[in-house]
Amino acid sequence: MPAKRPLLLRLVEDYWGILLLLLAWQAWVVINRFNPIVMPTPVAVLGDLARHPDVYLGNVGITLAVALFGLVAGMLVGTALAIAAWFSPVASGMLNPLTVLFSSVPVVALIPVIARLLGYDTSTVLAIVTIITFFPSFVFASSGLRSLPPGSEDLLRVLGASRLHLLLRLALPAAMPNLAIAFKLAAAHAILAAMIAEFLMGTTGLGYLFAKTKSDFNTEQAFGASAVATVISAAAFLGAGWVERRVRERYT
Amino acid sequence: MNALRTTALGTLGIALFLLAWEVVGRSGLLGISWPALSDVLAMLLDPARLPMFRRALGATLESTAWGYLWGAGVGLVLAAATHLLPPLRPGADRLAAVVNSVPSIALGPIFLVLLSREATPAAVSSIHVFFIVFVSVSSGLQRASMAHRDLFSALGAGRTVRLARLELPAALPALASGLRLAWPAALIGAIIGEWFGAPRGIGILIINAMQNFQIVLLWCAVLLAVASSLFFYGLLTLIERAAYARFG
Repeated sequence: MPAKRPLLLRLVEDYWGILLLLLAWQAWVVINRFNPIVMPTPVAVLGDLARHPDVYLGNVGITLAVALFGLVAGMLVGTALAIAAWFSPVASGMLNPLTVLFSSVPVVALIPVIARLLGYDTSTVLAIVTIITFFPSFVFASSGLRSLPPGSEDLLRVLGASRLHLLLRLALPAAMPNLAIAFKLAAAHAILAAMIAEFLMGTTGLGYLFAKTKSDFNTEQAFGASAVATVISAAAFLGAGWVERRVRERYT
Repeated sequence: MNALRTTALGTLGIALFLLAWEVVGRSGLLGISWPALSDVLAMLLDPARLPMFRRALGATLESTAWGYLWGAGVGLVLAAATHLLPPLRPGADRLAAVVNSVPSIALGPIFLVLLSREATPAAVSSIHVFFIVFVSVSSGLQRASMAHRDLFSALGAGRTVRLARLELPAALPALASGLRLAWPAALIGAIIGEWFGAPRGIGILIINAMQNFQIVLLWCAVLLAVASSLFFYGLLTLIERAAYARFG
């Protein structure tokens, strides 16, 4: 166990990149004497965050709720379909190449199409997050359900296990680490997808706040909305990474 | 026999999907927002519109390629630098995670001021690529076995030589995987970047068609983006297989 490093050194070691980026941003704006409408300094953005916490909090709540519900719904539908396909080799054979195709599709490009189909409101944002988190869940759950320890399936069959038993006792636990990876990939994505969807056609949420304040030339608040979204999705990424490690330790 | 079965089922699945697309569109089940596949293809192949599609796709692919090269280059260099100077590692990891968490729609206005309207799509795209390449190369550089590393050190190789001769070749499969995953992300970045005033491109086509209710045109643009993404993704998958076969 190495000796505990002093706090300041630890801060510099862990956050030198971010600190440097913020300093460069501040210097760039000050040196070029940008009008705050064109480009605010990070200090000004922080000031706006402190002055209008109510504006941000309400929209953060909406975006978080939409992202969370979409994430859960997408993962449930993806896992359920993967299980259905697991029961039928014909169905999984037909779905497999399609999901490979779809998982390499730039899904953001589909957002305008989905928006046209479902209308322009918050439930469409929810549908978009669901669809975007569905693909990784389905792909990872399908491959997880099939990556069983060698011989284990034969053993359970010899012992007279039914197909349902095989699923509950063997395939689902074997798929857990893969589902955790899907969760990690989808968690950060869910918030950013919700942002883009709200930006394009939402009526509420952080993405809408960004679009509205930007067109009102309230650039400080637009960047405030982006900064909040950045912190949330970085936290979601790190938190989901922690969950993934836990699940991997438990199930492998 | 098994491979034949897999191919047959897969083809059947795709055929059923395309058929469903056509039938839903023809019957008007989902309203006018879901055009039939044949209508979309007819517009896409209409000779009068071909120059427009070619210009848009060309502009987007150019931005995507520049973003891809810049992002991959910076990701590779930063991963190698933090590998040579381990104290920099935690800070670089956090920087990459935070940069990747900035919503793309917020990157647009920043690059608009920092660079230009024309360069914004490539710049947004390069941020997406940077993160994927940085993460995959960082983990790939640690794949060389301890025994090999000890051998290099025992024979008097410095860190730089060890990186160039041992660790970089060992990281090539991971780099190839990263590069494959990075293409769709690069394309998304370019499309979003174009929303901030680029003169032309698939992103412009998408946003204009969406706002003017030109449904079939919207689907054409999306189909073009998807098809070009699949093409390059397939190409990069082949390169990845070759990298695994040689260095894996």
